[in-house]
Amino acid sequence: MIEAALQLNKPDFKLEVNFSVPGRGVTAVFGPSGCGKTTLLRAMAGLEPDTTGSLSVNAEQWLGANGSKAVEERRVGVVFQNPSLFPHLTVQENLLYGRKRLRKITEPIDLKELISSLGIQELLLRYPEGLSGGEKQRVALGRALLADPRLLLMDEPLSALDQSSREKLLLLLEKFLQDIDIPVFYVTHSSEEVARLADNLVLLANGVVSDHGAIQQVLGAVDGELSRSDTAFSMIEGQIATTQLPGLICVDCGAGIVLQLPDSTSMSGFRYQPGSAARLRIRARDVSLCLEAPQRSSILNILPAVIAELAAKPHNGSRIVKLDIAGKQLLSKISEYSVRQLELRAGQPVFAQIKSAALI
Amino acid sequence: MLAQPDIAALLITLKLAATTTLILLLLGTPLAWWLATTRSRVRSAIEAVIALPLVLPPTVLGFYLLLAFSPDGPIGATTAALGLPSMAFSFWGLVLGSAIYSLPFVVQPLQNSFAGLGRVPLEVAATLGARPLDRFISVVLPLSKMGYLTAAVLGFAHTLGEFGVVLMIGGNIPGETQVLSIAIYDHVEALEYSQAHWLAAGLLLSSFLVLLMIYSANRRFHLMKTA
Repeated sequence: MIEAALQLNKPDFKLEVNFSVPGRGVTAVFGPSGCGKTTLLRAMAGLEPDTTGSLSVNAEQWLGANGSKAVEERRVGVVFQNPSLFPHLTVQENLLYGRKRLRKITEPIDLKELISSLGIQELLLRYPEGLSGGEKQRVALGRALLADPRLLLMDEPLSALDQSSREKLLLLLEKFLQDIDIPVFYVTHSSEEVARLADNLVLLANGVVSDHGAIQQVLGAVDGELSRSDTAFSMIEGQIATTQLPGLICVDCGAGIVLQLPDSTSMSGFRYQPGSAARLRIRARDVSLCLEAPQRSSILNILPAVIAELAAKPHNGSRIVKLDIAGKQLLSKISEYSVRQLELRAGQPVFAQIKSAALI
Repeated sequence: MLAQPDIAALLITLKLAATTTLILLLLGTPLAWWLATTRSRVRSAIEAVIALPLVLPPTVLGFYLLLAFSPDGPIGATTAALGLPSMAFSFWGLVLGSAIYSLPFVVQPLQNSFAGLGRVPLEVAATLGARPLDRFISVVLPLSKMGYLTAAVLGFAHTLGEFGVVLMIGGNIPGETQVLSIAIYDHVEALEYSQAHWLAAGLLLSSFLVLLMIYSANRRFHLMKTA
């Protein structure tokens, strides 16, 4: 477990957080900019000396009644927003900076394997100044991991990159972060990164944790901070179906649910292998409800569903409705007017029209 | 060419500048680091004191040092109590005076260089397990090379050219405390213009070369950084 109860007063900002998340997997720290995500990460790393409260990482006390463990004692790996390699050291020297300072190496890491899985074997003898942003971040990630950290903190590692290197690094992180056995805290304001990387979610707003827990649970909380925001979305897991229709990609989500998406393969140049796992991100505002099955619609995905829960109160004239589709949860954001007009209530069968879904 | 006393003056000047620079780099490093990182309110006061030699006539500094070196002064009384010779009219007295006089020329480049690093490289080093002294040696020093070069060259060159402080506390003893700038003054007083020319032109040329070296190194460094 990672358990935190942290307070930090800065002249213009107050952080007061309480949460506990499992001690493994990727925990996304999600929220709008200025909500204190980076400050939370810095406080966890020990880089904000005025932090009070308690923090323990897998039963190891970093902050508490016995005082605060120094940053260099915490064994915390940090990948900063802006690549921060040491300019006077080569890539290889950067990679080994932390490893050389380990008192004893408990986790034998295969250096060659790590370097090749990060795709940086060609860069070892070069200096950071000639590297691209994506390359620098991969080296920074390798450098943090080689120091055998107990917790890896990543502060919007993709935000300083251009679109194509961001996509490349995200693909690498998706696989990489699942394979390593170290808990990861990943700060982001991108719902796509959350959906693609996270197992757990800590929602932050104005320096306070508004919700935290397993990702499906937090995403599905109809009265939660996330549901009320414009970014409310659901995540459905499935696999690329073996039978495909022309011009479409079909994703089999189990229990007879097959979602169809326009095939943009020609655009992305990326071919989806039938049978491979897929995650779909569906924005709540892209899901509308009908009481009867619509006929001859241009909308590809119309699924029978049951209303599981309605948000207690409307927010800005709309209401979040949680649907149950054969055991999968899906959020829909519709106008309060429609809620009244259709007399929607929990337990009611409806049809969900999914205007668009993103394969991520 | 140079006569024997002039060569002695040259050697003393070089020895004085080298000793002063070395001492200032050693003492200036922690001082500049403190100034670059502290949030203390006395920082401005300390900075102002360090910058004083930039604005004060050197004779003011020399006058007070001379008083301090006198048998009744704090430094004179201390050296006497320890059984050491008086600092007045001695080489080590000159070193002390020069160190105070050249202090801002060493501390300010170092302070700027340290402040320019920002906190990120140090924070990264800390998360990678480096302790404070280790962080300073493995990150701050190599990234502050230009600052050290500038500090060393300015400290050295400034000590080469000092006149007022030396005149007040050195006593112009040939072979002991007579430095180049004062030797030039003596030659001019004695109307020995050709000897004065040798020394003056030599100082002028070497000062120019030293400054040229810093500026071109600085330029190379910036080109390298922006490459």
